[in-house]
Amino acid sequence: MDRHHRPTRRGVLLGMAAAASVARPAIAQSDTLRFGLTPVFLSSDLELLDRLQTYLETATGHLVELVTRRTYQEITALLVSGELDAAWICGFPFVAFQDRLSLVAVPVWRGRPLYQSYLIDAAGRGARSITDLAGDVHAFSDPDSNSGFLVTAAELAARDQRPETFFGRTLFTYSHRNVVRAVASGLAASGSVDGYVYEVLREVSPELVAPTEIVRASEWKPFPPIACPRGYETSAKTEALRGALMRMPDNGNGKAVLDLLRLDGFAIEPPGFFAPIEAAMESVRRLG
Amino acid sequence: MRRVRALPLAIKIPLLVAVLMVAVGVVASERVLSRLQAVQERQLSDLTDAYLDGLSSSLLDPVLRGDPWEVFDILDRARGLYAAVRPLETIVLDDGGAVLAATDPRRFPIGSSAPDQPGDVRADTAHVDEDEARAYARRTLAVEGREIGSILVAIDAAPILAERREVFYTLLASNAAVTLVAAALGWITVRRMVRPIRMLGTHLTQTLDGPVNPIPAVMIPDPATEVGRLFRSYNALAEAIGERDALLARAAEEERLASLGRLASGMAHEINNPLGGLFNALDTLKVHGDKAAIRRNSVDLLERGLKGIRDVVRTTLATYRPDREVRPLRQADIGDLRILVRPETARKRLALDLCGEVDGDLPVDAFQLRQVLLNVLLNACRAAPEGGKVRMTVAADGARFIATIEDSGPGLPAGAEQVLTGGLQPTADRGGLGLLITARMVADLGGTLLADQSPLGGARITVTVPLAAGKPLPEIRHVA
Repeated sequence: MDRHHRPTRRGVLLGMAAAASVARPAIAQSDTLRFGLTPVFLSSDLELLDRLQTYLETATGHLVELVTRRTYQEITALLVSGELDAAWICGFPFVAFQDRLSLVAVPVWRGRPLYQSYLIDAAGRGARSITDLAGDVHAFSDPDSNSGFLVTAAELAARDQRPETFFGRTLFTYSHRNVVRAVASGLAASGSVDGYVYEVLREVSPELVAPTEIVRASEWKPFPPIACPRGYETSAKTEALRGALMRMPDNGNGKAVLDLLRLDGFAIEPPGFFAPIEAAMESVRRLG
Repeated sequence: MRRVRALPLAIKIPLLVAVLMVAVGVVASERVLSRLQAVQERQLSDLTDAYLDGLSSSLLDPVLRGDPWEVFDILDRARGLYAAVRPLETIVLDDGGAVLAATDPRRFPIGSSAPDQPGDVRADTAHVDEDEARAYARRTLAVEGREIGSILVAIDAAPILAERREVFYTLLASNAAVTLVAAALGWITVRRMVRPIRMLGTHLTQTLDGPVNPIPAVMIPDPATEVGRLFRSYNALAEAIGERDALLARAAEEERLASLGRLASGMAHEINNPLGGLFNALDTLKVHGDKAAIRRNSVDLLERGLKGIRDVVRTTLATYRPDREVRPLRQADIGDLRILVRPETARKRLALDLCGEVDGDLPVDAFQLRQVLLNVLLNACRAAPEGGKVRMTVAADGARFIATIEDSGPGLPAGAEQVLTGGLQPTADRGGLGLLITARMVADLGGTLLADQSPLGGARITVTVPLAAGKPLPEIRHVA
């Protein structure tokens, strides 16, 4: 249904996929690999989406359909219900639905499958910890985001505080980039943002990041993973996708995609890898 | 006001043209500017409407949900989309009037109360505040008839105000130029028009100090024109006055010659009277010349008689010498007058009384004044009856010389006084003409001639002549 609502980017991608299917009639339509993307990374980069699709199609031998949605919740719902073959989601919904989802691979950034959550505020304000941000208008990325919500909420839970009461007002921007925009413009006094996205933005859009500063970086957390419905865990398409992801650094097109994402590659991690997120989730849930 | 009225026409009319042009310019400029203002404000309202229309359609949902980020995101993107509208700041309020989001969140933070707007901002109409160079507009957001919030927008009105200023200064400059040109053209035209009048004015002014000169024929325009007729009338007048002056001059000369004739006969009589006595003395000398006492008496008689003849001749010469010099008046000149009128007084047995004296030299043209006093004295002698009285009183203070001549005659004929003051033309009556000529001579000396009644019964003529105080006549210096 979303196809009709947001035809621009999706239409282009699907049109390209259709053109590819004409060029390669051997691949069956039913073999299409539906791959979901959350706004966890720079979702607005059309070139990136194009290259990623091309690489995945070549590497898996499947037609690839990239599916994007505004919120994490929408992608998670599609993934859990089996509408998607796999999706790059956040660690928080992965843990929340871990009985129904399986890990495909975890991205490796700066040598490790880990990242941080940043608390940011306006440059020059000089806040040193979360306690300095009490009463702020605070921008979160997404209620289902680990770095853009859960980490901050868990830190407050450890102090028996809830975001709605600790901050003067909270708002969700549904993208890490928008958290930076909200803080940079002054709409929000502070924000919770994905440290990986923030660092990449610092490179590609320094003017956007400049009016902000990091209040504190969290401990290292498990990087948002590529997950698939538990039922597809051992399917050929999942294996093909995992293989394609693992081989990415060795392939020119794959390397180009990784470079755009500022990632080193992908790693296989055990399910227990996401235990810290589970603990955070539990602490927030306990507070009710 | 009086100073404005005193301005020449060549200034007054261009000034009037300039004032009228300025008035027309002001009215026309006011119309243009107010029309421009109306057009600009309509354009601004249209642009603002388009901006607010676009915003409201996309803002309804997020405002209903109370989502500050999405409201901000829409405002932020609209800034680029509606660059032509030049929105300076846009503020979205919720139904309680608190800020939901603004393009400048630092100035208008989430949850703050709505900023003040000029009181007369009406919904959907741009209101231009010229002092701040901004336009304000407001739009209510409503769903199903219920107000859920509103949009306030401040738009940069500097460009339209700058355009208005530019038009204003252009109008000012062009109107000033047109007014200046019109005034200059008016000045040139009016100058050409009033030139003949000024020439006439110059000629009339010159007649106050000198002869009346007609306007040269080459300068007289076509007689069909007003100016042509005016110039011709003036020339006719000038010729008439010139003829009158020539006539008067001729009459004065004749009068002088006539009085000379009378004096000559009088002088002949003066000389003739002692001649009989002198011849008697000669006869006595011839017969009794050997007797010392008789000889001495006769020689004395001869000497007195000859002296009398010499005095008469000398006085007459002093009065009528053609190559007369300018010299100051002395008491001797007054004494001479007695000798000059003696034939008249002797003929009519008149009692001539000379009163008063002048001390030293009086700085006034002695010849001219003597002639004046002689004329008046002769007139008085003529007017006085046989055996009557004539009195002349002279006096001088530092500034003027005054002579009063009275007689016991019947007084001046009717109209003589007006002849003196220029109110009547002299007639063939000699008295009238003589008085007029005398009056002109007094006027030449810068003095006045007054006529009234004398206690002696006849006329009294008072001659007052100013003395050139502190300015001795050349002759005095020469004599000194």
